[in-house]
Amino acid sequence: MHRRTLYLIIITLLLAVYYLFMAVYLHNLEYHNLESLFYSEKSKILFEGLGNRLKVMGLTSPILPFYGSFAFTFGKFYLLSPVLASAVGTAILFYIMANTLTKRSHDDFYLLILLVLFVFDPSLLYTASSGKATYLVLIFFFLFFYHIIRYYKSNTTFHVSIASICLLLLIFCDYKFVWLCLFFIPLVLFISINSLNLSEKETIFRLHQSFNNPALRRKLINKTVAIYIIIFLLPIASVLIFKMLNLTHADNFDYFLDSPYANWMVLADRLSFEQATSFAHFQPSQVSPLVTASIALYCPMIVLAIYLFRHNTYQILTIAAPFGFVQFLQIKYDKIFLAHEYFLIFLVLSLLCIVFRGHRHENQRLMKSIVAVLTVAQVITGYYFLKHSLVAEERDFVNTLFNRTPNDNEAESREVASFLNTLPDNEQILVDDAIAYPVVAFTHHIGRLTLPYQETYLSASEAPERYVNYILIATERNPLTGYTQLNNKYLPAIRKSDNRLNLQKVYETDNWVLYKVL
Amino acid sequence: MTTPISDILVKDGFLTPATREQINALARKTDTSFLKVALNYGYVSRKNYGRSMENAGYRFREVRDEAYDEEVIEKTGLLFANDHLAIPLRIENNRVVTVMADPTNTLFIDFVRITYGLEPEIILADDLEVTWLCHKLLGKGHVKSSVFELLNRDPNSSALFTFTGPQMVSIFLVLGAIAAGLVMNFKNVTIIVNVILSVFFLVAIIFKLFLSLVGSRFELYQAVTKHELQDVHDDELPIYTILLPVYKEDKLIKKLIWNLQSIDYPREKLDVKLLIEEDDAKTLDAVRNLDFPAVFEVIVVPFHMPKTKPKACNYGLHFARGRYLTIYDAEDIPDTDQLKKVVVLFNKLPDHYICVQSALNYFNRNENFLTRMFTLEYSFWFDYMLPGLDTLDIPIPLGGTSNHFKMENLVELGAWDPFNVTEDADLGVRAYAKGYKIAIVNSTTYEEANNEPFNWIRQRSRWIKGYMQTYLVHMRNPIGLIKKIGWRGFIGFNFFVGATPLTFLVYPILLFIFLAYVIFDISSIKMLFPDWVLFISIFNLMVGNILMIYVNMMAVFKRRFYELILFAIANPIYWLMHSAAAYKGLYQLIVKPFYWEKTNHGLSKVNNPVVNIIK
Repeated sequence: MHRRTLYLIIITLLLAVYYLFMAVYLHNLEYHNLESLFYSEKSKILFEGLGNRLKVMGLTSPILPFYGSFAFTFGKFYLLSPVLASAVGTAILFYIMANTLTKRSHDDFYLLILLVLFVFDPSLLYTASSGKATYLVLIFFFLFFYHIIRYYKSNTTFHVSIASICLLLLIFCDYKFVWLCLFFIPLVLFISINSLNLSEKETIFRLHQSFNNPALRRKLINKTVAIYIIIFLLPIASVLIFKMLNLTHADNFDYFLDSPYANWMVLADRLSFEQATSFAHFQPSQVSPLVTASIALYCPMIVLAIYLFRHNTYQILTIAAPFGFVQFLQIKYDKIFLAHEYFLIFLVLSLLCIVFRGHRHENQRLMKSIVAVLTVAQVITGYYFLKHSLVAEERDFVNTLFNRTPNDNEAESREVASFLNTLPDNEQILVDDAIAYPVVAFTHHIGRLTLPYQETYLSASEAPERYVNYILIATERNPLTGYTQLNNKYLPAIRKSDNRLNLQKVYETDNWVLYKVL
Repeated sequence: MTTPISDILVKDGFLTPATREQINALARKTDTSFLKVALNYGYVSRKNYGRSMENAGYRFREVRDEAYDEEVIEKTGLLFANDHLAIPLRIENNRVVTVMADPTNTLFIDFVRITYGLEPEIILADDLEVTWLCHKLLGKGHVKSSVFELLNRDPNSSALFTFTGPQMVSIFLVLGAIAAGLVMNFKNVTIIVNVILSVFFLVAIIFKLFLSLVGSRFELYQAVTKHELQDVHDDELPIYTILLPVYKEDKLIKKLIWNLQSIDYPREKLDVKLLIEEDDAKTLDAVRNLDFPAVFEVIVVPFHMPKTKPKACNYGLHFARGRYLTIYDAEDIPDTDQLKKVVVLFNKLPDHYICVQSALNYFNRNENFLTRMFTLEYSFWFDYMLPGLDTLDIPIPLGGTSNHFKMENLVELGAWDPFNVTEDADLGVRAYAKGYKIAIVNSTTYEEANNEPFNWIRQRSRWIKGYMQTYLVHMRNPIGLIKKIGWRGFIGFNFFVGATPLTFLVYPILLFIFLAYVIFDISSIKMLFPDWVLFISIFNLMVGNILMIYVNMMAVFKRRFYELILFAIANPIYWLMHSAAAYKGLYQLIVKPFYWEKTNHGLSKVNNPVVNIIK
């Protein structure tokens, strides 16, 4: 094995250990987020649940992050599996980026910069130890752009098809990335024009020349269509197939997007937005359409990246495509805050550009100085943006990590779960995990819960006295009470249909009430 | 004193004195007659040779029905007779009746005098008639060796016996177990079979995708670079044999000569053999009636069953003189620098690389739907699959033509199996089993894509039958095969050679079940698709089809055949044609395993394709 590769593997392993240490540390400070709890709960169902687990396995979304977390499930440590996955995954991201760098440059300075960022940047620490699946998004985002840029140079099918596969995987990590395709539609035309064998160098004149010559025009159209197909066929077809599977197994094309049983984002994003906007001191400045400016503030390296690729219009457009994408998300999903993940993609993209071109700049001293300054700035902006994020989980991460104060966000769920754990083993509890998945994630015996993935759930919710001993109900104060059937409206309705039903309140918190069926 | 034929030709202006010297030098070097070199190395056309002989007062005679005496003919070796275009037939009136194409060949006349102690009585016949007669009368031993050499040397590698006893027992045991299972528990056994087939399909397709990605990584890799080619000196090039097995390809002979003439290789170092079957008068006449000089030597393959291409090639091998050898079909248009590239590559590669395979593609790709689909398939096969197999060190099933061998190793392997109808694929596996390797060269041979559906099915049924034969031959001793080619090679062989016919056989059944399920909503089929099976099956159907379509698209994208990319979507229909061919192949495997389904060439209307320029 090459010596540098060996060193790289050792550094990656050390980094993984560092992230694992941090992840366990945060776990002990009871930092949790909804995404990792959702995956933990689904993994628990797969390993210990009784019923149609295949549906949970096939339709839980985003599917790759879930499988990533599932792969790290050891024993009964379900809550740790997402953080293990993110820690190892982020270390792998480092390895991929560092490996790309070492293949292109022998200058260890850039490797050091990469290492500094991965060790100190709070954004990347958040990726590594939060248990969220941002690491997967960043890996595939990096690989997608890496292969696209390689394709520009080599013009080989290998790179464009691998880029397509990465785009597909990216979409299955976060479905919103499907909109990235939109910004590649005009770009592909530029790529085709650029690849034509013409004497003219300027893109606009190449375009003019191609459109006015029938043979060239035919070639241009054929090639453009061919690239569209090679890049987009796999992602689009795969999405259609996945939708088809959703239709056949859940009677809904968009089950994986719309159902809170399948996708944690359905409720988490709404909850986050509603909580933030309900504060009196809420400042909508970061919801402004000028998200591009905040990206440049967050990641000043992106300016350097654009500078490095300034010679080719289509390459600049490639780097600019994610700006359009994020701007588009901001408009399309106006009731959702941009997660930190959408800022981090620019950090990855900038690093990719620097990996490609940074070491080739003629004035290396100046380049290194700028990169060093930008790295320090990046660590600071990473902290600042997380600290002032509109998403509570992101703010909590910084507070828990840097203030070492235990996080009590999920204290209530843990409390309810603790009570459920004390109930006798043979007693069944009716729970709707659309909103109660954090509670389920903290319980020890999922076998005693009757959940919606089970066939008995519907019967149990209609005739609880025959199937279950307890019912967990969301109170009126529960911010997600409107998204579950088992809420304060459920009891009057069920009593109406069966007036012999006797329920006794046995446990109560702000958001939950546990009734015993008598 | 009779005037030598060389002088006659010079006198008639068909040769210059300088050319005569060149021919003489080459004749001495190759140990053949002047006339043989003159006619086979592009110096004189057969028509001009005939004119000259008649001007000189000679008369040609029909000689095929001439009587012959076994005792007389057996004193002449086939190689000698073939090289000198002459054969003594019988002794009559105290003279040896000898058929000769060159009545002035003193060497052969002296041979007759010394051997028989009598003067010859010469009958003049054109060189093709003499060749025909020589091979017909003297080639029995050679043709028997062509048919039985491999069988005698290595009976386990011969496809003479299609199924061995243990194979028959295994097949019937599996079928019996399934039948018994269906009787006892129809639902569960059907579900199990369904799942096994589905998983098998998916694994086979993912394996192909993986191979394609591995293969496509080497898209920019040049096995032989332009600079390396520029450093090649013609003087250092070895003799290269090209075998051209043909049967009733009379329409293609002219094209064949144009294609051969454009090969960038010293003419005197090419040893081109046109292998014509004994009963193929059409092709022989086409060669005779050429208006211009031929650049190949005709070898007539005496009749012997099985009448297959590998048998003809084995026969041609007896006369090959090259250090390297390749096979082309009559309609093939190799890249002009292909032979040089192969020589360079062989020089670069370690000794255990004994074969180099060129890519195959089609010059008439835009002719109709079938040719487009064929191009998609071949681009995928030769540009992605074979490089993928090569990289992963999995046995490469050689393509029908443009495989270049080291002669000595080819002979050592026992050459082609005449009983196997995809002798090339079989030979590739056999080479790996002996520890040899096959490389891929960055050069393409353009062929004529089959543009007629029934012709296509005939050709494809032979290929699929050949894959079945090859699989059965090498799976006679699976443990032995694993020992020879390793686990990776074994799995690759099973998925590549074994799975290919099986997927085509199973595909229409699964498609039918699926369509019946979707369209007719037959409730009993639903019973066979519980939720989890349905999940796997739909995933399989969709993902499998999309992946195969995608890899085909990748292949034509690489070749820059952008106009074909959308045709990849029609692959599921194309696979149905494969299935029809697979069932035909299976039927033939059982009833006539060695029957060679002849593919008609020369049907394309695409003329003068300019494809083999050096790129």
